[in-house]
Amino acid sequence: MSLFSFSTNKKVIATKPKIAHFSLSTQNSWLLWCCQCINIALISAELSSWMLAIIALSFVWQALLLNKNATSHKLSSDKKNSQSKKKPDHHISPVFLGFFAIAGCLAITLSAQGLGVLLSMVHLLSFAYALKAFELKSRRDFYQLFLLGLFLVAAALIFKQDLSFALIAMVALVVNLAVLLQFFSRAQAVSNTLKTVLLLLGQSMFLAAVLFIVFPRLSPFWQVPQANSATTGLSDTVQPGDIAKLAQSSELAFRVNFSQGNIPTYSQLYWRAMVLEDYDGRAWSRTAPDPATVSHDNYQLEAINKRLFMPNTFKESEKLNYQIITEPSFQHWLFALAPATSKDNSLLLLPDYTIQSRKLLSQAKGYHLDSYLNSPLEVNIAQERKAQNLALPARSNPRLVQLAQQLAQQYPDSEQRAQAVLTQIREQQYFYTLEPPRLLNNSLDQFFFDTKAGFCEHYASAFTFIMRASGVPARLVTGYLGGEYNNLSSDGTTNRSNEAQGAQQGHLSIYQSDAHAWSEIWVEGKGWLRVDPTAAVDPMRVNSGFSTQLQQQQLALNNNLLSFNHLKKFAWLNELRLRFDALDYQWTRWVLGYSNDKQRDLLQQLLGKVQAWKVALIIIGAMAISIALVFGVMLLINHQKKQKRALSPWLVLYQKALLILANNGLEKPVNVTPQKFLLILKIKYPELSLAFARVNASFTRLNYQELTREEQKKEFKKLQQHYKNFIKATKKI
Amino acid sequence: MSPVLSPSENQQVIQDILATIESVVLGKPQECKLALACLLAQGHLLIEDLPGMGKTTLAHMLATTLGLSYQRIQFTSDLLPADVVGFSMLNHTDNSFELHKGAIFNQVVLADEINRASPKTQSALLEAMAEEQVSIDGATYELPSPFFVIATQNPLSHSGTYPLPESQLDRFMMRLSLGFPDLAAEKKILLSHNGKNKTLTKAPTVNHTAIIDQAGLLAMQQAVQEVTVANDVLEYIIALSHISRSAYVDKPLTAQQSNKTGSLGDLHCNPLSPRASKALLSAAKAVAFIDNRDYVLPDDVQAVFYVVCQHRLEQTPTQILSQHAQKNSIAQRILEQVDVLNPLAY
Repeated sequence: MSLFSFSTNKKVIATKPKIAHFSLSTQNSWLLWCCQCINIALISAELSSWMLAIIALSFVWQALLLNKNATSHKLSSDKKNSQSKKKPDHHISPVFLGFFAIAGCLAITLSAQGLGVLLSMVHLLSFAYALKAFELKSRRDFYQLFLLGLFLVAAALIFKQDLSFALIAMVALVVNLAVLLQFFSRAQAVSNTLKTVLLLLGQSMFLAAVLFIVFPRLSPFWQVPQANSATTGLSDTVQPGDIAKLAQSSELAFRVNFSQGNIPTYSQLYWRAMVLEDYDGRAWSRTAPDPATVSHDNYQLEAINKRLFMPNTFKESEKLNYQIITEPSFQHWLFALAPATSKDNSLLLLPDYTIQSRKLLSQAKGYHLDSYLNSPLEVNIAQERKAQNLALPARSNPRLVQLAQQLAQQYPDSEQRAQAVLTQIREQQYFYTLEPPRLLNNSLDQFFFDTKAGFCEHYASAFTFIMRASGVPARLVTGYLGGEYNNLSSDGTTNRSNEAQGAQQGHLSIYQSDAHAWSEIWVEGKGWLRVDPTAAVDPMRVNSGFSTQLQQQQLALNNNLLSFNHLKKFAWLNELRLRFDALDYQWTRWVLGYSNDKQRDLLQQLLGKVQAWKVALIIIGAMAISIALVFGVMLLINHQKKQKRALSPWLVLYQKALLILANNGLEKPVNVTPQKFLLILKIKYPELSLAFARVNASFTRLNYQELTREEQKKEFKKLQQHYKNFIKATKKI
Repeated sequence: MSPVLSPSENQQVIQDILATIESVVLGKPQECKLALACLLAQGHLLIEDLPGMGKTTLAHMLATTLGLSYQRIQFTSDLLPADVVGFSMLNHTDNSFELHKGAIFNQVVLADEINRASPKTQSALLEAMAEEQVSIDGATYELPSPFFVIATQNPLSHSGTYPLPESQLDRFMMRLSLGFPDLAAEKKILLSHNGKNKTLTKAPTVNHTAIIDQAGLLAMQQAVQEVTVANDVLEYIIALSHISRSAYVDKPLTAQQSNKTGSLGDLHCNPLSPRASKALLSAAKAVAFIDNRDYVLPDDVQAVFYVVCQHRLEQTPTQILSQHAQKNSIAQRILEQVDVLNPLAY
């Protein structure tokens, strides 16, 4: 900013010292209004509907006021006697505004429990932002409003960080800055202002990038309260119909990047999230203690020990290494192809081969996993676990129990028994549908024998129930199936994967619509076996994804016009979508996923061994160099634009004196010479004229007379002395 | 008198000259000072005013006090170029052509009511003013030095006048108008007319003798040239003339001015030539010299800007004598545009 200090210096002199009434020009008012709308729109997803309604109301009100002001302004300028009359400004009375504000704050406080700390703060911020626009009484209010706007944009980024949102936030930032700049240079066209803002942003981008890479990521000094956002994705209880609902969403769940070898076939991509072992007759839920309350270390230790001491079960040749980047789900669940291991400390490996994150997933998280697809799970389990997976509530689904007992007699082998159930599903008239008919009391009997139409969780529940009733330990597993392969994300730094022959480039995107439920049965000597009854009713779903009929169903149910299923219909749109997805993937991977550890790794690569002083040195050095570079370039540009001439020190001093006078109500018009100004001063402030005359005389000598170096120095000292005396004189008045 | 005088002596002489002129041209100290400055800056002077305002008196006084040879030509519509510059005539005694020098072969030529003459005659003056030489029958004759033309003219609306072409206007360093005297001055004029010294009105300069000689004047002109000009003042002059050119120059001088051209662009003034800015500088130097300074202040530039530039900026057909006209003139508006302290405003 120091580069622009000259111009600001001038501006200060040019502004009138006494601003009786602050008002924005009509154009600027509207610009500000639009900017406010954009800022609020950015965060609108997080606001509750009543708050949005209040804010919308105040914006409409604001617009009406602006409109009124504009017309009355026109009228008064037509009358020409606008100067004598007071400007008829329409303002809301402060009492009313205060009442409104207090009422709004009360409402926020009352609903704070439901909203959580972070969201209620965001509500408060937005509310203040909307109301502040009503009382723009001075420049300071305008600045406050501007800062609040910036804060709001930043706050919006707490909740969402994907590429498209980041771009939108960037646009909002540009608009905010443009409004500020427009305020300072009213004469400029808006397009010119935009150009300037973009130029400035472009210049600062480089600095921002350097700081992003090298600036140490300090842990926050205070705990940012977790966003109490609605959880997305799978929940840890499943009732029939839950997953069908989830499958209508086209939101991204997570992305996978296989670092070496081939991607497994579609039907192998069973991304396990949760294992549900408890059935209460209505819903499946899990028993494992809540990860937030249990001391993790014991649990973790047990899990790791179990896996490490099964040397024969995991074959190194079958190892599949991949990286998963999840979207924020505000849950703890992570996804894996079982069985999987990881050395990542932030992960919690549970004994049922599911994985949890130690922290709530409020941000995108990346983690590496090693999976051994064909290895058995838990060949030996304890008796109590067996019993748990056989437990059924008394007197539920009697018809299924009956069927199960029948089958148990018919097929003594548990695998054959499972096969028999699948055959029945395959051969009878069962339908796979996203719109399952409602079941009374979630009765599986009703589904299996009467309606015979359901989504994956219906079949998995029913199958698991039958298996349990027939004496085979079985459990329900939820997760995702398949994923969309995107090979457009060419990877800039895949040196590791390039080493592997035939390395796959690209990534898998798994959407909420890929949510799935299946069963696992425990067979003596083989461990847990995956059985997917969906494969029996709709083989296509398991082998390649949604059938066209399902897709149409999905389209009909999904009212989001922009959902990718609509776009899929056009090849080029689909390609565009995939490209954007690839870009978003890189963004998530490199920008959002740039963590403390990655930064350390990078510095380590650059510097060798990490030592505190080295890191400090490189950070300071990089910052200094980048700042110097940016300023150097700017200086160079400025120099080329106009051969810049530094203001002489005496002129600066003289202008300071003028500024003091201007603040006291006597401004020097630019075209008045110092000598003439002195005459004006003598009339208006006779008591100051002597002191100022000395300043003036010295300045005149320095500025206009030809002096030798020595004389100049002497005279400047005199000027400084005179200036001090002048200031003393002004203080007396 | 020694050709080189000390500053204090110079000042004494200047004050004497001014006092003498002012004793005759009553109540017009500012105009007298400017007229003197014009001559010290080696420029030609145009005095435009209504008849009977003392134009001729001022011109006459300037010539006499500076000790210069002086002749007056009364311009009329039938005045021929030969009347101004002279002609060759056959001498019957030795059968040779003899040059009869015109009125222009004087150090000070008073071209009275110059806009009454035809353009042809006016332009005869042109070469003389610009080159300080005249050509008669193929031979070129140097004019005496120093050489001044002091022209007077009536406002253009008067009958029987030919407007001076821009090229000729540009050759006058200054255009002055005297304006009506104030009450006290007019009373004094009337008293002197009514009083004992009747000869004063007939030939007001008769009683006055030269205060300075030719060599002294040349030395003083030299001293004027040596007045120093600070960079800020130079830039001030540049900025002033540049603004007048804004309609002709693509690139505005500064960003600040680019915003202002809108207000000036619709004025349609003639742009100031480099000759004009040179004249502005010389005149400012002369004013500084008269004020006993060896450096130029922006005040000096402002003091002479109207008289030096207004006649170059626009043709004013109507009265130019009122104060009101000066306040609303283009020259004044240009002055208002430029920041004195930071002319090329960054």
